[in-house]
Amino acid sequence: MTTPPPSADINPAIGAMLKSARDWLLTEHALFQTLDLKPLLIGRNKATFSVFLPDDFCDARGKVHGALLTLIMDSIFGLAAFTALDELKPVATINLRSDYLGDIDPGGRVICAAECTELRGDIAHVAGQLTDAATNRPIATGAGAFIIGARSPGRESRL
Amino acid sequence: MSELDLIERYAAAAPIARWLGFSAAVSEGDTLFTLAFDERHIGNKLIRALHGGAIAAFLEFSAQATLYARLGGERDITTINSDTDYLRSAKAQDMKARVNILRLGRRLAFIEAKGWQKDETAPVAVARFRFRLGDTEK
Repeated sequence: MTTPPPSADINPAIGAMLKSARDWLLTEHALFQTLDLKPLLIGRNKATFSVFLPDDFCDARGKVHGALLTLIMDSIFGLAAFTALDELKPVATINLRSDYLGDIDPGGRVICAAECTELRGDIAHVAGQLTDAATNRPIATGAGAFIIGARSPGRESRL
Repeated sequence: MSELDLIERYAAAAPIARWLGFSAAVSEGDTLFTLAFDERHIGNKLIRALHGGAIAAFLEFSAQATLYARLGGERDITTINSDTDYLRSAKAQDMKARVNILRLGRRLAFIEAKGWQKDETAPVAVARFRFRLGDTEK
């Protein structure tokens, strides 16, 4: 039996799952509802979202805390890894590196663009950046590795 | 003002500390940080795990608060970058953290933080942070 060549298109089953995941994220999940995630592009190996920056995540200076930028990248990067798959499997972050390039005020939006640059066995490598939606100014960059086929808590270790 | 007082002052001024349910206490001469679990920290309802970003945020805020207190609350702290390793799945429960200052220089600080839930010897995540101290515009 030969392995089919990777498709340039998103797998239909993954596409359907992403749509239901998106609907769920937008309607039921408190954290993501707060961030008002709006998908701009979801394709094979790629995910781009517009994300609202609420006051709840500010630092003492009144600027958006960098940790929120990491949280956003972790979410969208994981989704980008998901789009690279040919069957439904859980995805979990192994590590994520974030570089903070500039401050941003709450009340606006950032664009998070993520790309799964390589899927090597059960390891997905994802890189991306956050830009200020109003000015296109770079806010943060990130790079992470994700493991495919992670298990849920309470079961065996995913590692 | 004690380091714990300074940490509490730092947290009181930052809305993200409230979102995290952040608190600190001194135990055996070491500062122990706590994330008080709340449903808003869940990343995926189906697997009931803490969001990786919430874990990273908790470790980063713990590192910043430690640095703020060590510097007497008198210098600006800007995170240059962070790198978080997720060692285990995090359950829907409180998380604890300890912070270790690797190097505190005039302009830069290098800090690591470790987070766990039930067992400190089985950490859920470890993170490294690099900070710029003072006015970054100079």
